[in-house]
Amino acid sequence: MTPETLFSLSGPLAMLGWLALALSPLAPRAAQWVSALVIPALLSVAYAALILIGWPSAEGGFDSLANVMALFTSPWVALAGWLHYLAFDVFVGAWEVRTARREGIAHALVLPCLLLTFLFGPAGFALFLAIRAARHFAFPPQQEA
Amino acid sequence: MTDAAYSPAHPRRHASWLSAEPRLAATGIVLALSLAATLPALMLDTRLFQGENVWIKPVKFQVALAVYLFTLTFFARFLPEGMTARRTYRAFSWLVVFAIVAEMVWIGGAAMLQTASHFNTSSPLMEALYGLMGVFAVTLTAMSLVYAIAIWRNPASGLAPATRLSIALGLGLTFVLTVIAAGTLSMQGGHFIGTPQTGAALPLMGWSGEVGDLRVAHFFATHALHFLPLAGLAATWALPQRAALRATWAASLAFTAFVAFTYAQALMGLPLIPLG
Repeated sequence: MTPETLFSLSGPLAMLGWLALALSPLAPRAAQWVSALVIPALLSVAYAALILIGWPSAEGGFDSLANVMALFTSPWVALAGWLHYLAFDVFVGAWEVRTARREGIAHALVLPCLLLTFLFGPAGFALFLAIRAARHFAFPPQQEA
Repeated sequence: MTDAAYSPAHPRRHASWLSAEPRLAATGIVLALSLAATLPALMLDTRLFQGENVWIKPVKFQVALAVYLFTLTFFARFLPEGMTARRTYRAFSWLVVFAIVAEMVWIGGAAMLQTASHFNTSSPLMEALYGLMGVFAVTLTAMSLVYAIAIWRNPASGLAPATRLSIALGLGLTFVLTVIAAGTLSMQGGHFIGTPQTGAALPLMGWSGEVGDLRVAHFFATHALHFLPLAGLAATWALPQRAALRATWAASLAFTAFVAFTYAQALMGLPLIPLG
């Protein structure tokens, strides 16, 4: 199995998680199982295997930006880094969906956050936090569940 | 799965002034918070568009639209009882929120790509977007007209007559004068009228110091909803009721004349304040 093959498998797997989150109002519990557990777990296990393979021979390190960039010149380590994004982004997306559901935030407001988290991870997370903060301060007090 | 650590520790706080129109207020808060991303971008990005940092324009619009939203939220308390709960009102309010978000995504996206948002006719897509954003801009400004009429007609606002009149006139003039000034601006090829354009501009506002700049009239037109209520409030404090009402009408006429002056000045190719 080459890094390219694994890469081309990882994309659709992550997409499945994002699709489940986008459609989560139809099956909230199933979406959490898929996007907060099964898919991030699969990606994480694959990540661990890639680090075992690629880390010993990788150039670079964590101590400077140049060294971090050098790490990503190894296809195995770069693929591991990519899976890291995919796994954590979809996990954060699942948290957004779960939190929105608990706090009564409309799914229509979560969808742009999911799109942005899917494309630019932390930017979508930040948007979700901003929407949540805005709701907290702007909306009148509600009965706590 | 629960995340107790991330949930607010206390029940929601007491209703604040923001809850008079929570949709607009929440949108204003998100816009204000989004400055936390664009202000660092303004400081770090070295790319220019038409001689200015690419992020200047989005930042101006974020500030202006947030101020607009908070102002409407503040005036929402003077709307007739129950108006904000009506289905038609809620639909229009959501439409305005959508229009504002669309404007910001368009202006911010164009800045990111170092291209024009307004006046961009470089491709059929950008031209169509510019036209659509013009419709959205009128839509979001129309909220002030809706507020103007509703507050004008609301005898139970709890306000002194001159104060209520000044709020209604301010909101109404914001819509009418902005549509005229911004509409004329959009029919030009850009902000400036006249030559020579070497880039001399007033600090902070960025208005031309050498040629006509229709953004001046747009700015004052749009701020009618701040200037006139302040004038009406001052008149209410200082004068008896009938005189206060007359003073409010006079202030509205004077303000309209001033906006007309800045509008005519720009069309004649003259700067508000000549530099050098």
